[in-house]
Amino acid sequence: MELKINGKSYTVNTEESMPLLWVIRDELNMTGTKYGCGVSSCGACSVMIDGVATRTCTLPVSAAVGKEITTIEGLNPNGELTAVQKAWIQHQVPQCGYCQSGMIVAAEALLNENANPTDEDINNSITNICRCGTYNRIRAAIHTAAELRALETELIKKVMGE
Amino acid sequence: MADNNTSKTKKWTRRAFIATGGLVGVGLIVGIGGNVYLSKNAYKYSGKGFGDGNSLNAWVRIAPDNTITVAVPRAEMGQGVYTSIPMMIAEELEVSMDDIKIYAPQPEPAYANALLLVPEPKKEYSSLTFMQKVAHFLPLVATGGSTAISDGYNYMRAAGATAREMLIEAAAAKWGVDKSKCYAENAHIINKDSKEKLTYGELAEAASKVKLAKMPLLKEKKDWKILGKPVARLDIPEKVTGKAEFGLDVRQKDMLYAVIRHATYHGGTITGINNQADIEAKRGVKKVLILPKGIGAVVVADNTWRAKNAALALDLEETGDATLSSAKIDAQAEEVIANKIIATPLQKGNAAKVLDGGEGIIEAKYDVPYLAHACMEPINCTVLVDGDKADVWCGHQGSSIMLDGVNAGAGIAKENITVHTKYLGGGFGRRAEVDMVLNAAHVAKEMNGTPIQLVYTREEAMRHEMYRPAVKSHFRAKLDGSGGIEAWENKMALQSVGYSSVMRIKPEFAEPPEKDGSSSEGAANLPYEMKNALVAFGQLELPIQVGNWRSVGSSQNAFFTESFMDECAHAAGQDPYKYRRNLLKNHPRFVAVLDKVAEMSKWNTPLGENRFRGIAIHESFRSIVAQVVEITKVEDKKFSIDKYYNVIDCGRVINPDTVEAQMQSGIMYGLTAALYGEITFDEGEVEQYNFPQYEIVRMNVAPQVEVHIMDTDTHPGGVGEPATPPAAPALANAIFAATGDRVRALPLQKHGYSFV
Ligand code: FES
Ligand code: FES
Repeated sequence: MELKINGKSYTVNTEESMPLLWVIRDELNMTGTKYGCGVSSCGACSVMIDGVATRTCTLPVSAAVGKEITTIEGLNPNGELTAVQKAWIQHQVPQCGYCQSGMIVAAEALLNENANPTDEDINNSITNICRCGTYNRIRAAIHTAAELRALETELIKKVMGE
Repeated sequence: MADNNTSKTKKWTRRAFIATGGLVGVGLIVGIGGNVYLSKNAYKYSGKGFGDGNSLNAWVRIAPDNTITVAVPRAEMGQGVYTSIPMMIAEELEVSMDDIKIYAPQPEPAYANALLLVPEPKKEYSSLTFMQKVAHFLPLVATGGSTAISDGYNYMRAAGATAREMLIEAAAAKWGVDKSKCYAENAHIINKDSKEKLTYGELAEAASKVKLAKMPLLKEKKDWKILGKPVARLDIPEKVTGKAEFGLDVRQKDMLYAVIRHATYHGGTITGINNQADIEAKRGVKKVLILPKGIGAVVVADNTWRAKNAALALDLEETGDATLSSAKIDAQAEEVIANKIIATPLQKGNAAKVLDGGEGIIEAKYDVPYLAHACMEPINCTVLVDGDKADVWCGHQGSSIMLDGVNAGAGIAKENITVHTKYLGGGFGRRAEVDMVLNAAHVAKEMNGTPIQLVYTREEAMRHEMYRPAVKSHFRAKLDGSGGIEAWENKMALQSVGYSSVMRIKPEFAEPPEKDGSSSEGAANLPYEMKNALVAFGQLELPIQVGNWRSVGSSQNAFFTESFMDECAHAAGQDPYKYRRNLLKNHPRFVAVLDKVAEMSKWNTPLGENRFRGIAIHESFRSIVAQVVEITKVEDKKFSIDKYYNVIDCGRVINPDTVEAQMQSGIMYGLTAALYGEITFDEGEVEQYNFPQYEIVRMNVAPQVEVHIMDTDTHPGGVGEPATPPAAPALANAIFAATGDRVRALPLQKHGYSFV
């Protein structure tokens, strides 16, 4: 099977039913994507598949063939942090940090769909578990990231316009 | 004030060390006097893993390129210790946090956490008490009980200060001037007269040979540049890019994955595998084995998922008690309270005399269930046994416990074991246990030469762990005419956490259950004025393992005592805040915290329609926390938890941003227990498997948290745990205010309450 992860192609030879999570972690040794529950309940294993935040612990690898997969490692290919990552640092969000790859992927996906989410929108779309309880700061950081993204877009428009 | 102690500059000589630190006669021959760790001449530490450069003591190494490496022997589990310990050292060393690189040292005596054994923190320079010496001799290098800062506050700052003085002396010698002409600033020593400067890197080698004749004073709080200010955590950048390496992320060449299946029944054993050949024939499976004493079976494979599926397919022969149930446990607890009290940690006056047959007695029976730690990162440990040597990689609360585990599990001599401490995806007490190390070491020994990553699936981690015990607490009280407590009686039944957990880690240190202070912490040491009081408990005999769960005894005892205190206020017809305040009037620290939370939450101003509040205050781990929670009634038995106001007095503060984060975190942890948390048994098995049956507070339910930190000047207290205990009683008291329903058994969802 051919997988496209973070812009690179990988050939894997596993059972078609192996969840994508274990292919990423154990076959390809990309460990930023986490195992938390294995039953699509916690969101620790979230990656973007064609831009949509997807829990990979129950997704057969065969279902991801031919799609664009982006893991936490692929969010900032040039080393420049994304608006979400910057906001996460500004608000000092992570505690143990274990849930945060999944949280950040979920936040990126939310902002891709909804540039200026309300608290209600955040409640509805961020359903991941953080056992350390960093929810207050995640909420604040998502609002900040939305502002940062808007600023960046404006800047790009200006530069392009000139 | 803690710093007054430092005004006594102590002479420190090798002779003095031998006099105070040698434990000749009790078999401890390793020198372990107080400041001995601050000089590499008088004290042995390997410096293994420290990197390039010269060590000025066990804590600080400086390389010629000015890299400053600081040893952080405490586990980073989200509480920010990889930042707060370097902050204490950087403050005295006169370097910026940007200059610092950290590393996790081997579990050596220098790094012992004596506060885990002795309630008194070590002084910066004076010699150690006997038990402190024992902690160093073992050594006990572990993180828990919210001790990291309380334990290290004096001597870690001293490590920075002595290193700085050594650099100053080296510079003075180089320039041929008196050291009073030199001072340290921003990682340089500066010559006051000539304005010449030398970097720490240039001085480190000479400084490492300096023997200080006098120990330096520590800075006054008013001179702090780093401590007490919010400092960005050093571990956060790699936690937003996925680069932070947790135990489960360890990848070694040719590593195999092992998945455990514990014996189904608690206390039971696996005696055989009926389909071993079938399992061994599965794709990727390398080995199937039964662990010593039949506590579990393990499948080793080339991928976690394959190992997990194979482990699930094992057909096991087992023994054990298939009749254990929550109903039986309940009945035993009732029996224990009625007839089998083993300890009376508080007896003041004669409460029974007032209460037996008295009029107007308030009575209430409380109980809470077993709870799982449910760390976000499932339990795991990686071990390589290679002949007579071993390596262990784990996110663990105790590097010395990792060492013990590999030693016991694989029979490797401790000096041949290298410990690699990784980030912990949550600890909460669970990761201070030895089981994952012991089991991984055993498998690794069987697979000599191959690194083995042992993983507990979420289901295994939840159904077979060391739970917060289920506890019952039966109260009786009598009030006097003005609401004062004439008599207070609290009889409890539980399993001793201290006994159960120490028996697993260091059985020779285990005290019997009746001596376990954790059972009654937060119940027998209440600050409230009481004329007659009796607090007693008895022990349940069960095959269930119980362990330290964030805030331990206080996790249940605050719920019991602060709910019952509300019942007393109600019976007295008084406001719950003023009622408490009156009973605390001889404890100014408590009053100040309580007043502050009332002020912040505008306690005396009524809330709008359908809005209610509750209050609680509790001291644990050397800090006092008061909380007010505001809730909104959405519909019958359906509430939104809007906001917690949280005030903490934790003495001197190292990193206020971390304190705030820990208050938020502690409340969410307590709330999960209050709303949903419950581990139950039926037919010998735990009924909860995974998050769908063991729900955790999520974004939609999480309240806002506003934190105030009191500006006080006592020795630093803990912050990792103290916010958890008051969260549940504050909420239950708010529910009472809203509904008149006094919930005396958690979790709330069991009573039909739901939260949005
Ligand atoms: S690990 Fe996939 S949702 Fe929890
Ligand atoms: S930061 Fe620890 S689980 Fe979210």
